[in-house]
Amino acid sequence: MSGRVGIVAAAESSPAITQDNMMDAVYKVTKELLNKVGIDRDDVGTIVTAASDVFHSGISCANSYYWEASGGFLKNASRQDGDSLFAFLYGCLRVLSGHFETAMVIALTKGSENPENDTVTSLYADPFYHRPLGINETTAAALQMRQYMERYGITAEQCALVTVKNLRNALFNPYAHIRKSVTVDEVLNSKATADPLTTLQCAPKSDGMVAVLLAAEDTAKALTDHPVWFRGYGSAMDTYTLGDRDLLRGTLPQAAQAAYTMARLEKPSEEVDVAEISEPYGFQELLWCEQLGLCAEGKGGRLIDSGTTHLDGRLPVNPSGGVLATNPYVARGLYRVAEAYWQITGKAGEHQVKKSVHTALAHSTHGFAGQSHTVVILGD
Amino acid sequence: MGRAVAIMGTGQTHHGKRFDVSYPELVREAVQRAFEDSGLSPEDVDAVVTGTMPSMMEGIALNHLYLADAIQVVGKPLLKTETCGSTGMSVAHTAFYWVAAGLADVVLAVGFEKMYEGDSQATMTTVADPWIQRSFVAGAPGIFAMQSNMWIDRHHIPAERLREAAAVISLRNHDDAFDNPYAHIKARISLEEIKDSRIVTYPIRRWDVCPNSDGACAVLFMSEHKAKQMANPPAWIKGVGYRGDESYLGDSDKVRWNTAIDAAKEAYHQAGIVNPRRELDVAEVYNPFTFMELLLYECFGFCDFGEACDLALQGTFSRGGDLPCDPSGGVLCTNPIGATGLIRVAEAAMQVTGKAGAHQVDGAQLALAHAMGGVSQFNGIMIVGSQQ
Repeated sequence: MSGRVGIVAAAESSPAITQDNMMDAVYKVTKELLNKVGIDRDDVGTIVTAASDVFHSGISCANSYYWEASGGFLKNASRQDGDSLFAFLYGCLRVLSGHFETAMVIALTKGSENPENDTVTSLYADPFYHRPLGINETTAAALQMRQYMERYGITAEQCALVTVKNLRNALFNPYAHIRKSVTVDEVLNSKATADPLTTLQCAPKSDGMVAVLLAAEDTAKALTDHPVWFRGYGSAMDTYTLGDRDLLRGTLPQAAQAAYTMARLEKPSEEVDVAEISEPYGFQELLWCEQLGLCAEGKGGRLIDSGTTHLDGRLPVNPSGGVLATNPYVARGLYRVAEAYWQITGKAGEHQVKKSVHTALAHSTHGFAGQSHTVVILGD
Repeated sequence: MGRAVAIMGTGQTHHGKRFDVSYPELVREAVQRAFEDSGLSPEDVDAVVTGTMPSMMEGIALNHLYLADAIQVVGKPLLKTETCGSTGMSVAHTAFYWVAAGLADVVLAVGFEKMYEGDSQATMTTVADPWIQRSFVAGAPGIFAMQSNMWIDRHHIPAERLREAAAVISLRNHDDAFDNPYAHIKARISLEEIKDSRIVTYPIRRWDVCPNSDGACAVLFMSEHKAKQMANPPAWIKGVGYRGDESYLGDSDKVRWNTAIDAAKEAYHQAGIVNPRRELDVAEVYNPFTFMELLLYECFGFCDFGEACDLALQGTFSRGGDLPCDPSGGVLCTNPIGATGLIRVAEAAMQVTGKAGAHQVDGAQLALAHAMGGVSQFNGIMIVGSQQ
């Protein structure tokens, strides 16, 4: 690695459901980012976007459509599908390779133009074994949740508390989609989706455009007084077939360890100041916290009960409201990065955590019961 | 600029109608062959890059999840790079930048497509926006026919000369495919049969068009430090270029096609190439249509604008000519789309390491690989050489 790469600025779209067409929505977030830095499209070295062929308003080969709206005209650009933390990593790699001084990373999903998320996620299932069973991300998560509750004695109330906490945080985030105060009872008594999951424990379907500008160390320092550095990443795929996996022992610990090693974090539960974790299903925040080493195995329920992960807690998790509040499927990973960036630079506004933040963790996942996990560590 | 990167192994499936294997088995066939070619094993791989065309092609979405075990990526980081037809090239670029950045020493790049599982032209039509372009693009032939006509019109190419040049290109690719054990279409056809074949979309005739193929390709990229510990010869990455422009076909000049011109210039600049026709020993041009191959020669500076037909008829781009193109039989004979761009890279690497067998260009040291995609928008280039 020939130096450091840092985040210079970030921009998110608002409101969560937009009347803009795709071109305008992408253009606006791109332009907002460039304006924030005070640079022009010509100053951007390369662009990496994240969008999916299956979460893209019925248009395949996603980036061929919005190419020019993202500032890519006659530029060397590329795209990642499935997960926008992939695009964040690829943007970092392009800068670290020395071939580009700056990289713009943009993630976009216009959920309002897509079918229900699970209509799409059921297409992840192979047509021979999984699909006829009705496996999709929600039913797979329900299997995982049942196992989690049974193996560790996690209660339904503890799982529901994640929704209560995250939607409360979302009240303070003007970019959040779902903004309402709910109680544990309301969460548990909302309509069942796949037992034991209820509607309020499942993420919504949102629109979301988010962009960050990356730059090599010297350029980053020239463009901003507060660069946030890419300090570590880890990512790991799990095996495909659900029945072949222990759903409570996935690859997240491995991804996390790689990120911590690269970032030289020895005690992540003490050194990480704030975490933005992808929790498309409420209980997953608890399980992922365990697997990220932020609490001991089986203690995710106790972690949320203790208030540690609340906005004013010792280790706030999802101060933005998380994926339960805003779920632009492919873009949700880069939202975690943008939110972590704002927490570190103290620009998160009303949902800024009380403690000072120097090190933040961003996580994303997709696939059945967390088949793919990516972890990024950022720091000032 | 970054760390030096080499290709240390390639693997391809026997491309074609592969009803004998499942999708995961097809992918595994290519991955296994890359390991055999390089002498590496899955444990040596730090990271993996995959890509395909959209999931409608096979009916499985985000298929890196489904194919994780076949690719042998379980427990490792993965990137899923997709840029339409140029996906295979963009996958290679991702692997290159990953190693060049110093965050991995060995990256496995894999591209795949099992096109006989679905309807490729229906899928391709959905690349166009649903409001303005989709209703008339008529799949890939529709788009490339328009671009070809723009090129014919601009250069005032006489119909007979055009037909002759395209037929020569078609014949050369189909003959060369017989020397490539992995090629899909193996057809002995005459120049007259090609010229008289039925029109698909003017000026494109039956033998001007690539097939649908099932196939996969895997390429292992390695850091300089690791590559130099290996016994087998490396193919060094000398230059990488990529450009894209807007999705509305009518908005830009597709004859002096800026994305092709600029992508090639970016790669030539890195590789120190001034006169590509003289300095390159072989080129694997992404040629799903004969006319596109001719048009691209001009954009890549293999000849002047308007010269491609004449030079093709003189044999400049045939084996034995100044710059042999697509000795593998090219995309015209094999097109599993998500793999196709990566196959161009693999073939270029095979040429400069002397591993191309019966379709080896003697003494090849510097080779160009190319892929294109989008609604005639994207062009990607990778130049590989036997010398660092």
